[in-house]
Amino acid sequence: MAKREEYIDKEKKEKGKKLFGIFPAQYPREILWAMNVLPVEIWDPPLEVIHANAHLQPYICSVVRLGLELILQGKCEGLDGFLFPHTCDSIQNLSSIVSDYLGVKKPCYFFYHPKSPYQDSSRVYYLEQLKGLVARLEKQLGPLDSSQLKHRVQQGQEVARVLKQLYDLRVQGELEASNADFYRVVRRGEYLSPDDFLPLLEEFLAAAKGSAQGGPAVIMSGVLPNPKEILTLLDELGVRIAHDDLLNCSRRLLVPPSRADDPFEALTESYFAMPPCTTKDSSVSERVDDLLAKVEQSNAKGVIFYMVKFCEPELFDVPQLTGELRKRGVATLLIDCELNQNLSGQLATRVEAFFEMIS
Amino acid sequence: MKYFLGIDVGALSTNAVILDVRREIVGYSIVQTGANSTEAAEETLEKALVMANIDRAKITSTVATGYGRISVPFAEKKVTEISCHALGAYYLYPDTGTVIDIGGQDSKVIRVGDGGKVLDFTMNDKCAAGTGRFLEVMAAKLRVSLDELGDLSLQASQEVQISSVCTVFAESEVVSLVAQNHPTEEIIRGLHRSIVNRIWSMVKMLGIRGAVTMSGGVAKNRGVVSLLEERLEQPIHVHTEPQIVGALGAALLALRLAQTAT
Ligand SMILES: Nc1ncnc2c1ncn2[C@@H]1O[C@H](COP(=O)(O)OP(=O)(O)OP(=O)(O)O)[C@@H](O)[C@H]1O
Ligand SMILES: [Mg+2]
Repeated sequence: MAKREEYIDKEKKEKGKKLFGIFPAQYPREILWAMNVLPVEIWDPPLEVIHANAHLQPYICSVVRLGLELILQGKCEGLDGFLFPHTCDSIQNLSSIVSDYLGVKKPCYFFYHPKSPYQDSSRVYYLEQLKGLVARLEKQLGPLDSSQLKHRVQQGQEVARVLKQLYDLRVQGELEASNADFYRVVRRGEYLSPDDFLPLLEEFLAAAKGSAQGGPAVIMSGVLPNPKEILTLLDELGVRIAHDDLLNCSRRLLVPPSRADDPFEALTESYFAMPPCTTKDSSVSERVDDLLAKVEQSNAKGVIFYMVKFCEPELFDVPQLTGELRKRGVATLLIDCELNQNLSGQLATRVEAFFEMIS
Repeated sequence: MKYFLGIDVGALSTNAVILDVRREIVGYSIVQTGANSTEAAEETLEKALVMANIDRAKITSTVATGYGRISVPFAEKKVTEISCHALGAYYLYPDTGTVIDIGGQDSKVIRVGDGGKVLDFTMNDKCAAGTGRFLEVMAAKLRVSLDELGDLSLQASQEVQISSVCTVFAESEVVSLVAQNHPTEEIIRGLHRSIVNRIWSMVKMLGIRGAVTMSGGVAKNRGVVSLLEERLEQPIHVHTEPQIVGALGAALLALRLAQTAT
């Protein structure tokens, strides 16, 4: 399959799609799909940071730093717009740097999702946000075809269903794929159209069914599986990531299905049924329960908290999460590093020592 | 007679321990790692063999540990320092529940369970703060040898507060303290205090369990050990050769390896 850049380029030139750069993490991708937009997510572009440092304090995370660098290096010229979900303060600040200070001449959209604890008004609010976003997008892209939206919502559910199957097999140790392969495939959804992502997932599912290697299982929690070297190292050690609590993977991809007929209702219902997440201010106890359930289902020996340095929402919860897990006899490992950095000897030692500890 | 070898290739020292089948230490050695880890491993092995007065061919199995564990071509197995320090400390002091290893580049706190098994651990970040390297840099600035650090700091009646945690900043802080004529002992004690504070925060994260054993070269520094004992409010076990604890753990694993193989 074509590389990311080539694919995106083709979608624009050959299929006439509009391209939107999407910052993490949660957004109604179905609405964009229905409006002939290809959402291209910006998580961890492989760049050397040169320009972004002038705009950001040293304690800002590398998701924001790399995202800004991507824009400053002129690599977003081909995009037709940006979408900034209200994920954390740093992304919020990034959105104002991009839209107010840099004078980027592209439409910038903002998406606010309700934070927990949810009340009755949260649903109303979310519906309003969805419809408000549509109204703003329509000014740029023309009217939204409601049958298209319905189709895309169904397709989104289909993608989530196959992903859930893959995750379930992984939990049971019945997926033969390495950690590196699994996440490589799952992360293709960050830029593929569902028309292409769905067949890719199905093909992978068919090919990878089979028993996983025998080593210990762990759960990985954090933002995203980067640096990828960690996945390779775990593969070499024979450790299987049986499930994850990663913001850019299970926390937003395993969307629970909805039977609602109205697509907006369906999106809303799914949103409120999503797994607990720091970007939604979920309580620590919900998160502990969720992690413990994952540990239990997969018979995991421990949880690796794989943090992006300076990621405040994630790091805030960590002391309590690790404390609660330890109390229940679940081993934990905390690692934080910059995106795309090499795995230092020290990091590798921590991971290997953790492996020795749980073996 | 069969013998079992553990080699710990650290950032600063490369150490070997040879055990016999009764788990007695029959030879050990401590050499500088220098620029070539493989050569250092050879050198330390040769010295330990001389002390044990045995032939290299008598070594049944070898386990390598330390950050240079991948550069020991003759090792059958590679195991991290975390597991090895836990095992070594437990062997020396069976009441050990907590190990504090402060080496040249890393400091680690390990919770140890029955049999020397690792229950949990934490390690410093990649910078040199709170490690032996930090003390080396400062000792060089103050023109005192590593051996003198401990005694000097025990002589100090007062201490100077060092506010920077970072080695680079602390170094310039030391330069200005020297310029202000602060007594060397007081500066050293302040530096030791800053190491102890770093270690203390790591210990607090894990919680103290059982008796505390200190390993790694910094355990040779009586100044650090005594401040740490004060802080932990309990005595600390320190072996006469704290630098070989990791290699000892590796040798114990080599013995285990040979036993499971037969
Ligand atoms: N005689 C001594 N007196 C006081 N301190 C000493 C002495 N010898 C060594 N040290 C301290 O011990 C440190 C080295 O410790 P050690 O040999 O355990 O490190 P290492 O195992 O090579 O490093 P690492 O475990 O980080 O890879 C030195 O940086 C120094 O601060
Ligand atoms: Mg060491």
